[in-house]
Amino acid sequence: MTMKNKNIIKILIMIFAMLAWQSCTDLEEEILDNVTSVPETGGGGGGGGGGGGINIGAPYSVLFSGTANHNSYFSIQEVSTDEVVIPQRGADWYDGGTWLRVHRHEYTPQEDGFNNAWNDTYRGVFECNTLLQDADVQADATITAEVKVLRAYFYFRLLDTFGNVKIVTTPGEDAAQSSRDDVFDFIESEILDNIDDLSIGNDASTYGRINRWAASALLAKLYLNSEVYTGTPRWQDAIDAADEVINSGLFGLSPNYEDVFSANNTQNGEHIWVVPFDQATGTGFNLAMMTLHYPSQLTFRLSQQPWNGYCTLEEFYNSYEDGDERKENNFLTGPQVDVNGNIVGDVGFENGNNGGPADPDGLQINYTPEVNMLEPNALRQAGARLFKFTFALEATDNLDNDYPIFRLGDILLTKAEAIARLNGDWNDTETIMLVNMLRERADATLYTAGEMDENEFLAERGREVFIEGWRRQDLIRFGAWGNEWWEKPAHSNANLELYPIPQAQLNVDPALSQNPGY
Amino acid sequence: MKYNYQLVKIPISLLSFLFLSISIAFAQETTVTGTVTDGDDGSPLPGVNVLLKGTSTGAITDFEGNYSIKVSGSEPVLVFSYIGYLKQEVPVANQSAINVAMPLDVQSLAEVVVVGYGTQEKKEITSAVVSLDAKDFNQGNINNPSQLLQGKVPGLSVSGKGNDPNGKPAIRLRGISTIGANTEPLVVIDGVIGASLDNVDPNDIESINVLKDGSAAAIYGSRGSSGVILVTTKTGQAGGVKVNYHVYGSMDTRARDLDILTKDEFLALGGNDLGGETDWIDELTRDAYSQVHNLSISGGSGSTTFRMAANYRDINGILEKSGFEQINFRANINHSAINDRLNLTFNFSTTQRESNFSFPEALRYGLLYNPTAPIFDENGSYFQVVVFDNYNPVGIIELNQNLGKTKKFNYNGKVDFEVIDGLTLTGNIAQQLEDGMFGEYYPGTSYYRGFNRSGLARRRAEDRQFTLFETYATYTKRLGNLNMTLSAGYSYQQEKFEDFLIDVGGIPVDAVAFNALEWAREIRQANRLSLESSATPKSEIAAQFARANFSWDEAVFLNASVRREGSTKLGEDNKYGVFPAVGLGVNLNRYLEIAAFDQLKVRAGYGVTGSLPRDNGLSKPAYDVNYSEVDGSLEANFTQSRAANPDLKWEVKKELNFGVDITTSDNRLTAALDVYTRTISDFILERNVDPAVFGAPTRFENAGELSTNGFEISLNYKAIEGTDFSWNPGIVISHYKSTLDSYVIEEQMIAELGAPGLNGTNLVRIKEGEEIGQIWGPVFEGVGDDGAPILADVNGDGTLKTDQGNALAEDGDFALLGNGLPDLELGFTNQISYKRFDLNMFFRGAFGHSLVNTFRNFYEPRVPGSINSYNRINTELALDNLTTASFHSYYVEKADFFKLDNVTLGYNFNVGEVSWLTSLNAYVNVQNAFVITDYTGLDPEPALQDFGSVDNGNRPDVNPNVLAPGIDRRNNYFTSRTFTVGVRASF
Repeated sequence: MTMKNKNIIKILIMIFAMLAWQSCTDLEEEILDNVTSVPETGGGGGGGGGGGGINIGAPYSVLFSGTANHNSYFSIQEVSTDEVVIPQRGADWYDGGTWLRVHRHEYTPQEDGFNNAWNDTYRGVFECNTLLQDADVQADATITAEVKVLRAYFYFRLLDTFGNVKIVTTPGEDAAQSSRDDVFDFIESEILDNIDDLSIGNDASTYGRINRWAASALLAKLYLNSEVYTGTPRWQDAIDAADEVINSGLFGLSPNYEDVFSANNTQNGEHIWVVPFDQATGTGFNLAMMTLHYPSQLTFRLSQQPWNGYCTLEEFYNSYEDGDERKENNFLTGPQVDVNGNIVGDVGFENGNNGGPADPDGLQINYTPEVNMLEPNALRQAGARLFKFTFALEATDNLDNDYPIFRLGDILLTKAEAIARLNGDWNDTETIMLVNMLRERADATLYTAGEMDENEFLAERGREVFIEGWRRQDLIRFGAWGNEWWEKPAHSNANLELYPIPQAQLNVDPALSQNPGY
Repeated sequence: MKYNYQLVKIPISLLSFLFLSISIAFAQETTVTGTVTDGDDGSPLPGVNVLLKGTSTGAITDFEGNYSIKVSGSEPVLVFSYIGYLKQEVPVANQSAINVAMPLDVQSLAEVVVVGYGTQEKKEITSAVVSLDAKDFNQGNINNPSQLLQGKVPGLSVSGKGNDPNGKPAIRLRGISTIGANTEPLVVIDGVIGASLDNVDPNDIESINVLKDGSAAAIYGSRGSSGVILVTTKTGQAGGVKVNYHVYGSMDTRARDLDILTKDEFLALGGNDLGGETDWIDELTRDAYSQVHNLSISGGSGSTTFRMAANYRDINGILEKSGFEQINFRANINHSAINDRLNLTFNFSTTQRESNFSFPEALRYGLLYNPTAPIFDENGSYFQVVVFDNYNPVGIIELNQNLGKTKKFNYNGKVDFEVIDGLTLTGNIAQQLEDGMFGEYYPGTSYYRGFNRSGLARRRAEDRQFTLFETYATYTKRLGNLNMTLSAGYSYQQEKFEDFLIDVGGIPVDAVAFNALEWAREIRQANRLSLESSATPKSEIAAQFARANFSWDEAVFLNASVRREGSTKLGEDNKYGVFPAVGLGVNLNRYLEIAAFDQLKVRAGYGVTGSLPRDNGLSKPAYDVNYSEVDGSLEANFTQSRAANPDLKWEVKKELNFGVDITTSDNRLTAALDVYTRTISDFILERNVDPAVFGAPTRFENAGELSTNGFEISLNYKAIEGTDFSWNPGIVISHYKSTLDSYVIEEQMIAELGAPGLNGTNLVRIKEGEEIGQIWGPVFEGVGDDGAPILADVNGDGTLKTDQGNALAEDGDFALLGNGLPDLELGFTNQISYKRFDLNMFFRGAFGHSLVNTFRNFYEPRVPGSINSYNRINTELALDNLTTASFHSYYVEKADFFKLDNVTLGYNFNVGEVSWLTSLNAYVNVQNAFVITDYTGLDPEPALQDFGSVDNGNRPDVNPNVLAPGIDRRNNYFTSRTFTVGVRASF
């Protein structure tokens, strides 16, 4: 081999070695179809309108999940009560028995609904905590106050539902579990410390957001339930907080009950704070899916086939007198027709020839208030359907209606109840007057002095704030959680008034202790 | 030694002659001529290498087998070599004409094995490697190369439920090898890592090698955990031009039915009478005819060889409309230069496929749709109703479209250069380019998906690019009794994927289907538009690797390798991993000299491999966007949907393999036994995290450990070896058990049964310290007067706790109802030849596994509320008095099976008279001829993974769950029996 050849070989080997052992590839992963941190500008949407240039929409948008969809916060506040049930309709809706257990108060830490509610709520806390680290937020006292009170609301949900939770205030940091008393104190002080910094306006710019009045409404609710949460009643504080809202002069009862919940209820004058659902941009309000029978799709020309689950209990439906507009508005009953007036039929109707119950109406769907059984063969058409938030024609699976968290009607009842409890008199003049304001609007018979008692008040609250997510809280406050109702036996187990900490959360944080009794 | 991916079977001795030769010139020259023939049948052999021993002087025989070579030197010797034949050395001794009959080398086919970045002699292998040649492959209507291997490789499971022509079977080596990462073996085609088996037509495959254990696969590092399948395509040989033509036609028929109620039975049980009578399954299925043509031309002269092949497939499945049409073209060119020191290889292939996916879910509605429903209503439209999960199955197929086109273009160029004797540098560059365009259309008249949206169109486009660049050096040296091969190199891989999907409703006229999306009403009403687009980041892998192979005394073999590899898919703090392997093998018989054995090799190998996450970006956080209206304008809100994990790393598999290879001295019996133990740890899992701390309920983390122990046996025996009659039976057996040693949670119920009514009903228990695949539920004892099942008080405590919430409770009455994974898998081959006939019968079985027959679970109980609208499954197990649908042991069935999977009868015509024809072979084949099983469902094949429940027109999960085997879901395609007639001709 010649010298020249050897040189060529050396060069070749060197080139090869350079190629072979180069490892200058930094293997940096550049994500193209998502972001890895919240963009500075908050996206191209609207440039942070109303927030003084700061976009604080993230924690609010967390409310879109859980507030009014299946198998999270809404479901666990309603299906366990005397106003909503998900019967097992033959082969449909058994779902491992979770809704039967919730209905019968036999729930365990394993129910998915509990865990989903926990996750949804703490996600809201986290997004608030993240915003509070932002320098622009910190520099703006109004925004800071708004985010802190919003966070207090998320903790209010946790306080009410799970009680002994941990108070985390910094993103990425953990905290020890707090007692229910401490969680109460934290919420109260957060609201009181920040309420004076909140916006006092009530217009399009504060719609769907926390302003001073939403904070007062939250305080009213907190104090109303103080005896349950801490053992100490705070009736006068509840009255004062409710009065803040009522006397602001910014809110008025809507002339029609229906308008408060209709598909175009945006900025209804009765709303104090709502979750502004939107069928396109703020999705997660699935009530039409949850309650309607499959072929009712034809009645409303829905874009999706509904699920035929949720309905109300017959006793509850019957607790409304005929002529009460709220009865008409809150339920869908009777034979169903499509948009052209043709009957809406269910070819899967029960003909009774096979040992099961028979559908007396045959093919046509007829929503009956009576539910023939809880399980296993509730008729497919059985049960008055939840129609309070009216379904627009051609609605999608996500409704457009705004969902009120606080509204004046509820605050009036809050005040009425606190007065009655403070004075030890359910027939207190002001109590009757406040309740009658709502009865009058609904064209229902007015109460006269002497007709009211604790049970009647609880029933009236149920009629007014049906499926607004308060029923569990109300039943507990009235000591009625262990009462018997349809297909739900009486019990005297006070531990059931707090839901269990979800098993999945105990798994990820072994330091959490389970609530007593589970 | 020199490596060459394409020429698998070149005897090593030939290579050494090619590359170690030195020219020595001598003055005197004579010319020798002659003819080389096949020692078996006397036919002329074109393309035989004729070499003057000790020189680089060579010649190649022509089409008639003739050669001419100039000979010089003292005592010249001619060396004749040809793939598949024993090398012949003939002293010239002043002859001017030398005719040679080349004896067939029966051993040669298995002699050289392709391993990562090179080849090794089979006897040097110290790991569990199985090689299969074309003659071992399954026959018949085979559309995916993995089907060639089904049942042939001990430890390799190829399982597709049903025979969807557009479906892809799941491939598993030695059970579960990863939990949250890529579950499919790494495929290497002609040296191109990460290739897809879809890119090669089964007709063009020369051989397939399967690297089963960690010590063999470790050279492939972070992607080797699921095993490696090395495919070598056919190449041309120097000599004349050879033309091969293979054609077959086949017919698929429905192999198994699931019994359902007839109209009268349905009405007798109280179903609603809708006035008609339809056999839905008959309406949906057909005898499906397919045809396949393969034409290849190969040859070469001197230093250049080539092969070109064209494949045409027109494949139809038993479900109406399902099938595809495909044209595939492949070319391989090889050229040697500079005294054979430089070797250039170029391969490319294109594939165009037009698929009609049809709607396999229609089969499920065919089973449960009301048998009294007519196909058409009185107006002549399809009879359709709005009921949960209940669609006119003929309407689904006929009204809607589900089409796709894919185009694939692959090429690779490879250069080998022997710089100095023994040192070869190799560079390999490859690209795979794929694009697909898919369209689905559901007109407003179709209650399946279309009606809701007044005509729904879906358009999806995708684009995939894969680039590979590798360089490595190989050095071979012999020092006395020691042979060594050292190699080292660098590998860079990059993958990119982008797609775009749009669902639009409100298509104003069905005629435009998905081709005029801009007309859609929903485009103008944008709130109903659903649209997705995605692009993966450049997914890159960079690796350095090195390997050393030592062979002492042709009997003691030591192989060691290491790969250091990094990937963009992993967390910031854990990008790189190191994957070592070592193996030792000794042919004991070299020293024991037992007369009965030719080979008695024991070997042991240990290797570490990894698995990368399926998806990109998992170490990073992810966000969702919502809008809120503020002051009349919409504001985008970003909320975290997944938390980050900068520590995310690859899954690790450590595997120890012991093996014994035996060949008897009469060469009649060959046997291999492998015993292994493997541990997989650091599963990549989406885990619950504390939402209070992380802001999202989940993130991807590494956790858990799973161990698998198993053995594999293969035996081949030349039972009868006559001139007219021979019989070669072969058997492969495999067994494994996987145990979940640790997991993120002590125990958990997974795999939801689904709607209607059985949401929240989970079928599979995973528990630390226990076997994988436990089907877990209450025990059925009979039917109560109320029509509900009587369930057993399993723990005998006098109370019955059988609802799902108690599945894992100490006082719950749940039991192990079966295991989804088989205990034993068996393949039994019989190659029989009689004169010009050959018969190949392949039996296959799997034993010990159970399946949850979900069809029965949902639709067999006579539930009053559902019998009105859904037909009932009516197997021999049906109980008319059981009227509640819930999950329990009655629906868990043993699914042991033994089947005649593949039988071929062929005839080789005598073409001696026909000068232009080299060989002609005709065959008939039956796939899935019969199956013996007690399973009442459609297909007793084990379900190795679970895609979840699908109902009501929704779409299945993309990523399967491997921890939930054993569930026979409702969305599987039916199984077919296939009859094929084919002809192969060579010219």
